[in-house]
Amino acid sequence: MKHSFIALLEDKCTSCMLCVRECPAWCIHLDSHTVAVTEEGARRPKKVNVLDSFDIDYSLCMYCGVCIDVCPFDALAWDEHRALATTNREDMFLGIEDLRPSDRS
Amino acid sequence: MNPDFLWQEVHPKQWRNKISELIDSGFIYFDFLTGVDRENVNSESNCEVIAHLAQPDLSDSRMIFTQVKSQLASIADLAPASSWYERECAEMYGITFTGGDSRPLLRHEGLGRPPLRKSVVLAARVLTPWPGGAESEIKEDGRKMGNVSRRRQRPPGVPENWLKP
Repeated sequence: MKHSFIALLEDKCTSCMLCVRECPAWCIHLDSHTVAVTEEGARRPKKVNVLDSFDIDYSLCMYCGVCIDVCPFDALAWDEHRALATTNREDMFLGIEDLRPSDRS
Repeated sequence: MNPDFLWQEVHPKQWRNKISELIDSGFIYFDFLTGVDRENVNSESNCEVIAHLAQPDLSDSRMIFTQVKSQLASIADLAPASSWYERECAEMYGITFTGGDSRPLLRHEGLGRPPLRKSVVLAARVLTPWPGGAESEIKEDGRKMGNVSRRRQRPPGVPENWLKP
């Protein structure tokens, strides 16, 4: 496996923020909200995190892989994709759509 | 290679003697010299200086280290290759190598405090908001529900007073 890209498996992410907090380059940005889901028979509504946005700023990322190591749900993984060169920094900011693993995009 | 002999601490006053002794006993390949700031972020008292010397065939080597207050005798006349390392160490860790070349190597003179000391605040860590500080909101049918504010999180390795309030 090439260590050329960090991909997000969106459905495994629980918005726990561990990767964001451990990232030494401060390059991961995550936004989520919690929805209270009422299940039938349950006494209280259950709180479920919903991922709104997940961005990796590849102009800052140093490919250390700490986020992959700390993720308890294996929602981040090394991938063969590449963060392509761009002419401005904003384009290095990749969101959920751009972070799909190569076998799913 | 015997690891017991690899790392040897010397008193700063013995620094030149020890290096000279090693060079005389065949450790003539000077590999590198560097500083390590092992102090906690609020103290500036000590810095460690490490030098690595090896036999020319790399069959044996020594890591010599010493605890420095602010000055250390230069070894540039014993091992000329150390001169650049000493200049780098001087501007990055603020150590004066007495008897050595005192010209700056990479940084402009008067550019502020030595950047590799732990006590030096990294400007980007102060100016940039930490992405890990964001908290998620609990919403039910679009309306905010309860307070989820847990214990205030801090970025690992960044002192509290560095962050914006």
